[in-house]
Amino acid sequence: MAVAAVLRAIFGYCFLILITRVVGRRPGAQLTPFEFVLIFYLGGLTLTGMVADDISLTNAFCQIVTIALCHYVLTWARTKFPTFGKILDGTPLTLLERGQWRTDVLRGMRVQDDDVMSAGRLCGTRSLEEIDLAVLERNGEISIFKVKK
Amino acid sequence: MSDASITRPVEDSVPKVDGAVAVGEDLDFQRRWWRFERIIWSIFALILLCDVLEVFGRGYFAKAERSTVDRTMHLKYERVEREHAPSIMSISFGPSAIRNGEIRLFISESVVKELGAERIIPEPASSKIGNGGITYIFPATAPPATVDIALSPSRPGIHDFTAGVEGAEMVKAKVTVFP
Repeated sequence: MAVAAVLRAIFGYCFLILITRVVGRRPGAQLTPFEFVLIFYLGGLTLTGMVADDISLTNAFCQIVTIALCHYVLTWARTKFPTFGKILDGTPLTLLERGQWRTDVLRGMRVQDDDVMSAGRLCGTRSLEEIDLAVLERNGEISIFKVKK
Repeated sequence: MSDASITRPVEDSVPKVDGAVAVGEDLDFQRRWWRFERIIWSIFALILLCDVLEVFGRGYFAKAERSTVDRTMHLKYERVEREHAPSIMSISFGPSAIRNGEIRLFISESVVKELGAERIIPEPASSKIGNGGITYIFPATAPPATVDIALSPSRPGIHDFTAGVEGAEMVKAKVTVFP
């Protein structure tokens, strides 16, 4: 049924967004092997259920267009409604501020202090004392602001 | 028409702390989100547990058996199925099911349509339609005699079906098909 195929595509898209959102942000600008496994495995498993027994080009075309439309609507809603943007992307979170760890944020986001130090090294810092502010961005990167001398 | 782009002055909507970096953090929202995450993971764990316990089919708890009082027929089927997942419905016949060297098995249309009967083993000698179903005629000698129907449900939902030997008591049952 054509409607079922469209609904399956919408469900698959929304379900994957929910899963990637609750799985959490892993710090780092690039994908680790962990994330590669997660993304390809989830993608493959979702594909099986979404396509079902209809492997026609028409079905593929309609499902791709459906997902593209969903994505367009979500990105539009994200810019229009800030709260929706937060639900979809989360909010930047301070991990370290003026020599103090935000332990609840580190625990909640499953981030280790080593991850902050790793980001610090990329910015040329040699120790945590040189970091004034470390922020976990919405895309998973950690922004480092050095102590002003 | 002018070639110039539409512009507006740059404003930072994120408040700065001590005139420093504008992070735009919303810890209250994040705490609510962590609570939501915990609920979601609990639901996922519950779903997984149900799946392991075979609540969603394809396991021991999904299997069901029904017999007619007059023992003409014994039916083994899965009460919980999954859309497009293969399964076997097995029908065994008692001595009273064999009349004039043949068994006349009636199954309702829902077995063919909603439950997606793909194959009948063995092949019936003939079949006829009517009374909201199909009657298959199998040449038979003596029990034990069994007919297997390979299913692949085409539609999710709760589907009723009827099966039985023509002229004898019928078995009525339900099958829940998960998407």
